[in-house]
Amino acid sequence: MRQTNHPGKDISSLINSIDGISPDCPLEDVAELFSDQKYSKLLSLPVVEDGRPVGVISRYRFMDIYLKRDARELHGKRPIRAFLNADPLLVELDQPLAVAAQHVAANMKFPLTEDFIITRQGTYLGVGFVMDLLNAMEVQMRANTRELEQANVQLKSSQLALVQSEKMASLGQMVAGIAHEINTPLGYVQNNVAVGQELFQQIQSMIASYEALADALLDEQATEEGIAALMQQIAGFRGDMNAREMLGEMHGLMDDSLYGIAQISELVLNLKNFSRMDAAATEAVSLNNCIESALNIGRNVLKDKVEVIKELGDLPKITCAPSQLNQVFLNLFTNAAQAMEGQGKLYIKTWHVGGAVHISVSDNGKGIPEDVLTRIFDPFFTTKPVGEGTGLGLAITHQIIQQHGGDIRVESRVGEGTSFHIKLPTTPAVAVPQPAVLEAVA
Amino acid sequence: MSKPTLLLVDDEERILRSLRMLFFGGYQVRMATDPHEALRIMRDERVHVIVSDQRMPVMNGSELLRQAREVSPATMRILLTGYSDLEASIASVNEGEVFRYLMKPWNAEEVKKVVAEAAAIAEVSFAVQQNTGAAVDAAGAKPRVLIMDHDEATAKTVHETLSDRCEIIWAADAQHAMEELAKQDVSVVVSDLMLGETNVGYILKTIKQLNPQTQCIVLTSFNDTSRLIELINQAQITRFLPKPVSKGLLARNLESMLERFHAVRNQPALQKRQTVAPISDPQEKIQAGNFLGMLGRLRARIGA
Repeated sequence: MRQTNHPGKDISSLINSIDGISPDCPLEDVAELFSDQKYSKLLSLPVVEDGRPVGVISRYRFMDIYLKRDARELHGKRPIRAFLNADPLLVELDQPLAVAAQHVAANMKFPLTEDFIITRQGTYLGVGFVMDLLNAMEVQMRANTRELEQANVQLKSSQLALVQSEKMASLGQMVAGIAHEINTPLGYVQNNVAVGQELFQQIQSMIASYEALADALLDEQATEEGIAALMQQIAGFRGDMNAREMLGEMHGLMDDSLYGIAQISELVLNLKNFSRMDAAATEAVSLNNCIESALNIGRNVLKDKVEVIKELGDLPKITCAPSQLNQVFLNLFTNAAQAMEGQGKLYIKTWHVGGAVHISVSDNGKGIPEDVLTRIFDPFFTTKPVGEGTGLGLAITHQIIQQHGGDIRVESRVGEGTSFHIKLPTTPAVAVPQPAVLEAVA
Repeated sequence: MSKPTLLLVDDEERILRSLRMLFFGGYQVRMATDPHEALRIMRDERVHVIVSDQRMPVMNGSELLRQAREVSPATMRILLTGYSDLEASIASVNEGEVFRYLMKPWNAEEVKKVVAEAAAIAEVSFAVQQNTGAAVDAAGAKPRVLIMDHDEATAKTVHETLSDRCEIIWAADAQHAMEELAKQDVSVVVSDLMLGETNVGYILKTIKQLNPQTQCIVLTSFNDTSRLIELINQAQITRFLPKPVSKGLLARNLESMLERFHAVRNQPALQKRQTVAPISDPQEKIQAGNFLGMLGRLRARIGA
């Protein structure tokens, strides 16, 4: 008899190869078998005919019959066929452990008096112990739990990577936009300097000629011809360019250049304010400032396309992670711009009631159909073409607002527009949490 | 001779003022912040060169240049932009048919040179335009169309569209293309940017240096804006069609490029309008040099 003490992963590891007894076996022989040491672990004996299990006889039932007075004499020669349980617990070899366990658990009788029979396509293979099956199940469940734990760890780290990639995607878009915006002032400032340099050289040689003429006029040795030549040179310069007009023009270009440099500085400052790299992660700020900062950064996307109508009320400062909220607002603004076919309007309103600050961001874009609306905060849900959206923008927005103890709601009508409403408590119940995932966003 | 007229269009007045100063003296400078105003100026007076921004609120630059083509075909069109987005650059080739695509911030000397070159070409174009009328179709050889694309669909469309009028050559690799080019100039090139593993940008650039009459259509799924801008300036490709290209679209463009080829062949002065800028990429410069050298040797052998 092969006994498996360490159940493995499938039914075959549970097989105890015990020869089945014939249904014609007399009761007295069965009594012998039950008292045999090697069958001591068996609760029941399998009865097999033509290789197929026809039933079991349990030790319990057998005792019930055989220990009665005169039973030996009365029934000793009778075949076991008349006494067996013809409806034993059967388990097929190729069944998954869990399915077998479920079947056994559902059909076993209490007290536990029988083992189950293992078959392959109906052919008898051996006997299985219920305890072994339960042990095997437990081992498998422990393994499953480990796998789940590992999967969970992997999921968390890939979520982190995705959040990071969403951040990089929106950052990349933003940086490209700002770089483009810098190109215009940079273009004319650089050109003005180049033009100025050329003019400077021309004026320099002009002055040199004037000085030479002045020197010659004061020099008693100078000849008439020499002076005439210098005069002609100067006349040539004056014919080529109108120095006074050019200098006047250049004056304007200098002013323009200063303006352009101020614009570039402002763009850089906006970037700095938006990222808040040099500020504390949590700070008491007015959300109106966050909105302005996001508008400045998003200007590139909004400009030409969106008319922004602001109605910013007096807001108390709230303790929050401003860089995260900047991201929330930028995300809502650029989404709104993308929802517009042609020109559109973006209404931004803030107000303060009781213990909460309210922000509403509404557009008159194409709106969101109902089946999409219910899913827009779901991670990875996107209606944008592959490669254009990560499907994480609004999921992260939702998460950030929740972390701040607030909530965000959306209403939309197809063809009319979409409105987001954010409510944030003025005094966060707890310090704004900065879990790993959100830090990646910040 | 009067100074050539240069029209500057940008929604930022400071750009206009700055550029005006750059061209002070040498040109009659006109400026417009509004593209409609720019078109009005072009209708009213002869404009040799128009330099336009791409992103403007009323109308973008490639659209302005498309309309400028209709209003004044002889005017040379240059785009000066801070935005290098693919869509804009494709539109500037296909619709604006720009002479140069220049980036902000620009190099003052380079822009001056490009505008001077464009102004000289425009001068000739305007003169030719006045003399036209008797467009004699030079009884030249049958036009030759060179396909450099492994895509069978491309070859099929070219055959179906042009085989009745043109000799069609399907080159499998750079070597084959070169042998064909050595035999005779080609009229129209239909090319992907990648022929197997080879980037054929340098071949397109060389062809155009060799024979400015050749009209190049690029069909590709390879979308790199900076490469496209290079091909505009250094190969003067006339069409850029992102793959997959519909049959009808390709057929239409083949027809119009063949027409263009005939027009240029009949008026050699117009060839200059597609003068290419020197190749900037150092590696491509070497490749193009080798290519020209080999082509020269092949031609000498065939001639002998």
